[in-house]
Amino acid sequence: MSEPGLTLDGVSAAYRGATVLHEVDLSVARGELLVVLGPSGAGKSTVLRVVAGLEPATAGRVRIAGRDVTSDRPGLRNVSMVFQSYALFPHLTVAENIAFGLEVRDTPRAVARERARTAAETVGCAALLDRRPGQLSGGERQRVALARALVREPDVFLLDEPLSNLDLALRVEMRAELRALHDRLGATMVHVTHDQTEALVLADRIAVLRDGRVEQVGTPDEIWRAPASTFVARFVGSPAMNLLPADGPVRPAGEAPPGVPAEGLQIGFRPEAVAIDRAEGAAATVDRVEVVGEDAYAYLSLAAGQPVVARVPAARRPERGAAVQVGVRWADTHVFHADSGLRYAP
Amino acid sequence: MLAPYLVGLVGLVLLPAAVTLALAFTEYDLVNAPSWVGLDNLVALVDDPVFRVSLTNSLVFALVAVPLRLLLALGLALLLHRRAFGVGTARAAAVLPTAVPEIAYGLLWLWLFNPLYGPINQLLRVGGENGLTALGRTPPQWLTDPTDARAAIILMSVFTMGETFVVLLAARRALPRDVYEMAALEDATGWDVFRRVTLPLMAPVLALLAVRDAIASLHFSFVPAYVVTDGGPPPYATTYLSLFIYRTGFEYLRYGYAAAATLVMILLTVAAVVVQWRLVRRYRGFYGL
Repeated sequence: MSEPGLTLDGVSAAYRGATVLHEVDLSVARGELLVVLGPSGAGKSTVLRVVAGLEPATAGRVRIAGRDVTSDRPGLRNVSMVFQSYALFPHLTVAENIAFGLEVRDTPRAVARERARTAAETVGCAALLDRRPGQLSGGERQRVALARALVREPDVFLLDEPLSNLDLALRVEMRAELRALHDRLGATMVHVTHDQTEALVLADRIAVLRDGRVEQVGTPDEIWRAPASTFVARFVGSPAMNLLPADGPVRPAGEAPPGVPAEGLQIGFRPEAVAIDRAEGAAATVDRVEVVGEDAYAYLSLAAGQPVVARVPAARRPERGAAVQVGVRWADTHVFHADSGLRYAP
Repeated sequence: MLAPYLVGLVGLVLLPAAVTLALAFTEYDLVNAPSWVGLDNLVALVDDPVFRVSLTNSLVFALVAVPLRLLLALGLALLLHRRAFGVGTARAAAVLPTAVPEIAYGLLWLWLFNPLYGPINQLLRVGGENGLTALGRTPPQWLTDPTDARAAIILMSVFTMGETFVVLLAARRALPRDVYEMAALEDATGWDVFRRVTLPLMAPVLALLAVRDAIASLHFSFVPAYVVTDGGPPPYATTYLSLFIYRTGFEYLRYGYAAAATLVMILLTVAAVVVQWRLVRRYRGFYGL
């Protein structure tokens, strides 16, 4: 990767005396879109707030475009942020909102307004320049917040769950636009979300956060195909990956990785890897079936009671209460240490 | 459910108001039956120098006291909206004068203003000689000089802005934190934040409070003027509309004439309410209401 646009070096942060970030190391390349993914309370937003300088780092260094900004106030860091609530000024028009950052930095008004117009055109809200935020829909506010973020040409864009207040259709649309905007601007972006689909679709790389620690950093493909831990494995993917003891009831077909099965190991496989009609499979009963369009999710119980979810074509879904045979292949299976949850490397 | 309120409203507000309106066109001294005089009372008011002085005093009081009260309340609210050591005590101190019973508050200031032993003038004389201030001036003659007495009443009223302070404090605390963080990211200075964010966002509340205070100022000058300066120094330096009406009615028993003056006061109030209503309409668009 090229020269980093943003680096976090062992950054810790605390909130009301409790540590919420534990020595986080992250590096975002110039022009890269990094998605920070994690459940609520994982410290995702805190990462952004520490980068922006809105929260102090209790340890570690933050570097933006090669400059150490750890002790700089927010206004000196040259970052832009899109807040979850958009944080538009309700008393200012769209044009004034976008130009705000330029005007408080003493850019001449005419220049500021011209750049605001250009930024608005970039995100497709130029028709709204004279309106106030109260007259805009959620999607329009989102665009204005984006225009305001990019008008100043910052070193880093920070986006704090910017799509979470939008309905699903709009979210999907804005997601694509956001990605296109990133590619067009070549900007360094850090995007926080709890939505794994959003992360997989948007990101150049994903950093999965758990309890204030980085669990795994990798491309969407790496996160999906080689989750570093059972946490990542289960957090990314819906329904979550099945986890069973490696020497348990389900014996995958094909050639096992060296050293497997063994005690103290777990196997994980996604619902789509499960076949429910293998003659040599483990016996299970169908507890319930959810049909989602073409697909159906069958929630099964193995003989010993362990739950397994299988994705099957809706047309061939089993009946509730039916007896089925669960089978998977080693090729579709991930192996983890049972105690640490970390990925097993033979 | 509304019945008790309506009974109270009709019996205690609307009926007396209607009676006052009717009395404004009569001559009535509590002893003889009211006699119809038409517009005579209102015409007499226009020519009455005491009424004109009272009206001017009331308007000047409102013009000076209301902005000062708002300014102090806003300043304190912005200073004390964050949680910090001593802030709770400071907030209580800001509200305390408003909680003191009016008469007691008046008597307290009577002592504070005393030209000889009152602490205010003693403080002003610190560093000066022969009873003069450090700048060699005579300290204000709070209770005997007309201008100083008017200033005294305004000073008294400035410290009873507790309610305004509480409303502004709540309004400031209700402003979203993220717009301030946004401003911080743009490196806006304290002055820029005040001018471009805080003030405009609080403007609707400030406007309402200003009008409310202007209406109330017609009333809250009464007790200080009655207790501390007795409407003086002579002849009528601190005789406000409310005191004028009180004296005309209850001391000179000219109820019809007092009712006519009350009518003028009510018209002033109505004018203020209209302004308030227009302001509310104007600011409605701000928050997308």
